[in-house]
Amino acid sequence: MTPDMAKEWKALLFTLPAMIPLIIFWIIPLGTIFYLSFTDWDFMSPVKTFVGLDNYLYLFDNPAFYQSLRVTLLFCLGSVIPVMIGGLGLALLLNRSLKGAAWYRTLMFSPWVTPTVAVSIVWSWILEPKVGLANTVLRWFGLDGVGWLQDTKWALAGVLIVTIWKLIGWTMVFYIVALQNVPRELLQAGDLDGAGSWSKLRHITLPLISPTTLFLFIVQTISALQAYDQINVLTQGGPAGSTRTLLYMYYQSAFESFDIGQASSVAVVLVLTCMLLSLVSFAISSKTVHYTS
Amino acid sequence: MPAIRNARRILHHLILLLFSAAMAFPFYWMATSALKTNDEIWQFPPTLWPTSPQWGNYLEAWLEAPFWRYLTNSIVVAAVIVVLQAINSAMMAYALTHMRFRMKKAFTAIIMLGYMIPSTAVYLPSYMILAKLNLLDSYAGLILSNCVSVFSIFLIRQAFLQVSHELVEAGQIDGASHLRILGSILVPVARSSFVVLALITFIDHYNNYFWPMLITKNPDLQLVSAGLRSFFVEGGAYGLKWPLIMAASSFTIAPLLVLFLFAQNTIMKSFNMSAGASKG
Repeated sequence: MTPDMAKEWKALLFTLPAMIPLIIFWIIPLGTIFYLSFTDWDFMSPVKTFVGLDNYLYLFDNPAFYQSLRVTLLFCLGSVIPVMIGGLGLALLLNRSLKGAAWYRTLMFSPWVTPTVAVSIVWSWILEPKVGLANTVLRWFGLDGVGWLQDTKWALAGVLIVTIWKLIGWTMVFYIVALQNVPRELLQAGDLDGAGSWSKLRHITLPLISPTTLFLFIVQTISALQAYDQINVLTQGGPAGSTRTLLYMYYQSAFESFDIGQASSVAVVLVLTCMLLSLVSFAISSKTVHYTS
Repeated sequence: MPAIRNARRILHHLILLLFSAAMAFPFYWMATSALKTNDEIWQFPPTLWPTSPQWGNYLEAWLEAPFWRYLTNSIVVAAVIVVLQAINSAMMAYALTHMRFRMKKAFTAIIMLGYMIPSTAVYLPSYMILAKLNLLDSYAGLILSNCVSVFSIFLIRQAFLQVSHELVEAGQIDGASHLRILGSILVPVARSSFVVLALITFIDHYNNYFWPMLITKNPDLQLVSAGLRSFFVEGGAYGLKWPLIMAASSFTIAPLLVLFLFAQNTIMKSFNMSAGASKG
């Protein structure tokens, strides 16, 4: 063996422990899901018949798909936007050298650490319609309680409340870091020009932290597209599909109705959306490095 | 105008206090609902603190389902995954940053592709692969399918990039093997990144629910989230035993809240690192 060959082999040996599982459990499944979406497999039969684009044609003709698409969009925007605005707001409140800031931060971040299943169970008690805390609070203000997880009008809102509560501290910590990196001199220059806090925020802080905003927006959207645990515990996609996201639809057609071809076509839609978002984030982060470095 | 300043400061604290209290309140509500009797928990309006705390509820919930086993399962599986990821990420990151080989570009592309794949969307084919390998319903399957993380590789790679090539080459001239250089030069430099890797990966896999639930049917192998969920549905009979369900949720959440209290500074500091790592 030439020394060059030996070098290649040594390098290969160092990469294999990560490369083999990566290929088996990520890359091959990616290819398989595309392949399955062109078949009519039912999980049992030994043959997988090739059906071309049938699954996609059926999907794009299926009202349940559009309902699910709408729920997914509402879920993504309804969780990501409040989480980001709330996270930024809290970070701005915590950014100054404030007594007790560490305490506030700890309390607000703690939900992120805890298991989604366990906290969703706790929330399903809080959202219980008759004596649950949420409706009790509404009644204090003279409002009627609502069927948080039982009413098609409110179920998505119920799931969103839990999701936002879980994630807001996470974005807050990212924003705290970003705000600390805003150069003080710029803000002081703003002071000298007589800019108020609102105009300093709009014209100095927000543009400077925009790479963090974009990064968080994309990461949060990708994770919202993959939300499962809280939906499974709180509503299981119901009532009447009002909380059935694309991921939940995919899971139900695969593991409940065993319509693998149909399920795979939904998964492909998800995969392509997430990949597109990742590519956008790469493009953006390579353009905006000068802000962060 | 110190009066106005003071008023603003008090208002500022008041807003934060209100918000933090609201964020932490579900935990308080969980722990105290667990202490109520079945009659009291259904009482309207609800009581803020139970009239006669039923401390025995915790014991009763603990004994009603094998929570000791669920907790051990989760902790052991998460710990093994942490160790495996630390090892293969370190080796991969070392090859990417300090070794020259022809396949490097292709491998980097594969890793980037892996980064873009939403894991939940490919659970179905991953399930089929595990079935083919005869690894369904086993920890081997659960651990192997989770033993690599692109995030972990990025995190360690970021740290290894700080080490100069000269230092590594000096080691090679002294005749040290790659493994030795990795262990004695690079790993110590990247120690804080490994701590972050361990904490984030542990939290992720202790909390993991969807994938383990899909591939394990044997109740003895259930992780804590799946175990709690089946207790919620079966043992708790959907709301007939809310105090016990709240008690069970409490001891599922408690280990993580304790871990968080001890390690919170590291976890928060990791955000600088992880933002960098995700940017590749």
